[in-house]
Amino acid sequence: MKTKKRRWTPRWKNVPEVAGTYVILIAVCFIFFFPVLWLVLASFSSSGAIYDFDGFFPAGYSLLTYQKLFTDTQMYDYPSWLRNTLFVSVFSCALSTLLVILTAYTMSRFRFRMRKPLMKTTLILSMFPSFMGMTAVYLIMINFNLINNLWSLILVYSAGAPMGYLVQKGYFDTISNTIYEAARIDGASNPQVFTRITLPISKPILVYTALTSFAWPWSDFILPNMLLKNRDLWTVAVGLTHLGETEFSRFAAGAIFIAVPIVILYFSLSRFLITGVSEGAVKE
Amino acid sequence: MKKRKLPFWCSCVVMGSGQLMYRQWIKGLLYLGCLALYLYYLFTSGITDIIGFFTLGTVEGDPWLGIQGDDSILMLLRGIMALLVTAGAVGLHILNIRDVAAMEDALAREKTLPGFREIMRRFVDRKFYVVALFLPIVGVLIFNVLPILFMTLIAFTNYGGDIVPPKLVDWIGFDNFRRIFQLSEVKSTFLRILGWNLLWAFTATFLSYFGGLLLALLLNKKCVRGKAFWRAFPIIAYAVPGFITLLGFKFMFSYGGPINHYITAAGGNAIGFLDIDAGWKARLIGLLVNTWISVPTSMLLATGMLSNMRADLYEAASLDGAGRWKQFTKLTLPFVIFSTTPTLITSFVGNFNNFGVFYFLRGGLYLDGYFLASDTDLLINWLYNLSIDNNYYGIGAAVSLIIFVITSIFSLYAYVNSSAFKKEDTYR
Repeated sequence: MKTKKRRWTPRWKNVPEVAGTYVILIAVCFIFFFPVLWLVLASFSSSGAIYDFDGFFPAGYSLLTYQKLFTDTQMYDYPSWLRNTLFVSVFSCALSTLLVILTAYTMSRFRFRMRKPLMKTTLILSMFPSFMGMTAVYLIMINFNLINNLWSLILVYSAGAPMGYLVQKGYFDTISNTIYEAARIDGASNPQVFTRITLPISKPILVYTALTSFAWPWSDFILPNMLLKNRDLWTVAVGLTHLGETEFSRFAAGAIFIAVPIVILYFSLSRFLITGVSEGAVKE
Repeated sequence: MKKRKLPFWCSCVVMGSGQLMYRQWIKGLLYLGCLALYLYYLFTSGITDIIGFFTLGTVEGDPWLGIQGDDSILMLLRGIMALLVTAGAVGLHILNIRDVAAMEDALAREKTLPGFREIMRRFVDRKFYVVALFLPIVGVLIFNVLPILFMTLIAFTNYGGDIVPPKLVDWIGFDNFRRIFQLSEVKSTFLRILGWNLLWAFTATFLSYFGGLLLALLLNKKCVRGKAFWRAFPIIAYAVPGFITLLGFKFMFSYGGPINHYITAAGGNAIGFLDIDAGWKARLIGLLVNTWISVPTSMLLATGMLSNMRADLYEAASLDGAGRWKQFTKLTLPFVIFSTTPTLITSFVGNFNNFGVFYFLRGGLYLDGYFLASDTDLLINWLYNLSIDNNYYGIGAAVSLIIFVITSIFSLYAYVNSSAFKKEDTYR
């Protein structure tokens, strides 16, 4: 944006339009920001229950809720929820990213007999309702004795990740083949091409993939709710849904605490985000 | 067919033997080892598993008499696994035959065969896609294909309700589908939910799509200063995890929540926005909340799209005297719709199967006149109520198959009729 420093010169007939634009913009931003602000304020409330609020605003402010969140762990053990969530998210992020990038790169770069059938199969599979197989996954986990185990979550998240390879494939499709051909002529083997050339040039999509595959387990509720029956294995999403209206500010504080890292990540990486989201729209 | 030598025929019978006769020790032993493992599996549990797949158990357990009964569901699962393993073994056998044939051809051309390491190195290089896709495919097979196969089969059994292990489950053909389309209570629930579900999917997709597009256009206007600042607000909304937003809105509309606080302060009676009898109020709130959540995504998408648009088109248009409305309908809209049709389809399917919104806002309510559902529930919520909360696995699985048929027919139809499919090169 900085290259176009062309001053926009106001003309009188534009004034109503500009004013209108800004009024709409302010309204839209208010709509998007207000619920978030409300939760942030609520997390600093001095009383826990939602009934003691003065409308949208807490009756008094204090840091007590945050302190309680991490010390009063008798009923709601937030620190351990956080540890579990972090553990699951980090490992699934690493595994999923690797698998998705490998799949997408292979599907985009190579032409082999099973390619089209595989692509069609994944398309059909993705049409099934997402948790149709949940019951079956649950039974499989029981069969392999993996219930109440954080690794089972990681396994399910990363194993399912390659199904969403299309965005990344769209990115690789835009990279011209000549760069690979040149490397091949110089005698690089295919694994070398992948590690030395593909990975370095695919940084934007790597970041996008890592971010989305971190955020998914970080905020998923259905799967952990199903596979983790032990209270001390709960993830934050499962734990927070068990907080009622009387624990409202604890909910707000817990929510803010896990939302902030994600928001910061998204902001510092928003450059990559637009690449990722718009690559996904490019047709095959 | 060429005339083959003895080792080829040996490999056809016992995999790996031909490789051993050509002194390919490691490869031959690996094939032999796989065969031995498979046979061991087959005779220890494989055969019983496959038989169990068809019978689904014959002995009903009885704790009083101390009879260890058959667990039909586990038998079904293990049966599918045994069939998959067998398919894998057959595939490996075919590979082994091809391998021997290739070796014979190579021997006809050259004197010696390369060593095992050389073969592996060449394989990893030339068939990189096999190596790269191996893990992803195995993962998807176990955690995606197997569960879907399993549930598809469950739709044809009487599993669920009273019939759960230790009781024996049986194959019942299309009875579950017949119940959905004929049994009055289930049928009326299904039809009412389906109607609302379609309405929801269209409205929600429409709102979020055009909301996002308009927002992106608004931010793209030349007179808007500090675009990054304004864009930050929707991105915040985008980044906050969905369940937090949804639970937050639930609190906002609850009896003790701020909105009711102001209503009572103004002298009114508190409104149960999300109560069991809320009806359209709850549906409307769901729609608005969903728009709040999904507009930022489509805004990001539209921003990316608009930055790809060629500015000269607009200049040409305004030289020809096209007004702004005309530019929007004749240039922007066709281009954006053209390039986002695939996303539009995915977003429609996503909204059709939008589980979160009504699960978090008012999940687990059962309304009179509905079979284990409420008037805001979508098919996917009903599916959850049926199979996970109430153990109606058979009917639930049948509902999933119906959802699958609806969404895939729609996507196929929309895709084939879309301009992105018909006129691929319009914007090149």
